[in-house]
Amino acid sequence: MALVTGDANADDDGNVAHGALLAELAEAVARWQWDAVTALRRDAIARLGPQPTSDAILVAAGFNGITRVADAIGIRLDTRTTEASVALRQATGIDAFAHAGKWAAG
Amino acid sequence: MNYAEAELPVAADTAAAHEATLQAFAQPGAWWSGADRLAIVAETRSVAECSPSAEGATASGTAQDDAGVLPPAAIEAIHGIRNRSGQITRSWFENLIDMGLPREAYVEIASVVASSVIVDTFAQGFGLDKPPLPAATPGEPSFEASTDVVDAGAWVPIAREGSANILRSLGLVPSARQLFFDTFRPSYYMRPGAKFALDVPQVELVAARVSAVNECFY
Repeated sequence: MALVTGDANADDDGNVAHGALLAELAEAVARWQWDAVTALRRDAIARLGPQPTSDAILVAAGFNGITRVADAIGIRLDTRTTEASVALRQATGIDAFAHAGKWAAG
Repeated sequence: MNYAEAELPVAADTAAAHEATLQAFAQPGAWWSGADRLAIVAETRSVAECSPSAEGATASGTAQDDAGVLPPAAIEAIHGIRNRSGQITRSWFENLIDMGLPREAYVEIASVVASSVIVDTFAQGFGLDKPPLPAATPGEPSFEASTDVVDAGAWVPIAREGSANILRSLGLVPSARQLFFDTFRPSYYMRPGAKFALDVPQVELVAARVSAVNECFY
């Protein structure tokens, strides 16, 4: 879970193959840090291969968009999503992003 | 979409989806014309080049030659969704509506901004330039709005049916919903038989890290 929150050590893969590198690449893509992305992309190509690197950028790009839809529309958590992510939510503290003031009327 | 110069392989359906999105931006939409939609994309791109200190100020319009002129509420919506999505609140949204922005027009902005973020992030992630935009197709918006929606506690009504709220989120404007998910679909397990060269934990890690970076609770 530390990989998700960005609190992991640089060499901690969190039981995910190449997890630290993928998390770092995902963060750089999401933050549009293109110099960092360039270096990490080359590292990923060398260690994972071209197609996995391409797919990692594709997934990161997609979630860079869908997170904006979720927050722009102010959707609530549904039962299916809650049940699928309960452990992740507890471990990462991601619920803190859903503070009460978010839905409060002006 | 031409990814021929990319140093990495791009699946044909991804390239086709992104090309279709670029073409769709230029078409008249539900609440915005093709020129307006191109202006939304151009403004989204210009936000990326704003200095942080400029963010939150009234935007100055766009540099896109073929772009329409957007009202201030639309500009603020674009900036908020592009750069501060994790801090969006109901009161911020209601202020946009009070400024005269129809909620359906806001939904379409959310779709266009998020779709352009996907296409541009992907291209730049590959080390390519943002893809060029086509010329606007003349025509009026359709002013469509679905009545098959419910109040589920979001800023706007969402589609009545759907397995997860994110899939229902843009349901007030069906064409906006289609635009976004046609763009997003190659990026996740939304196609029959979809698979990646990463295993499932790797895909979920990338998705979760991006969600955390964007402070998205969903």
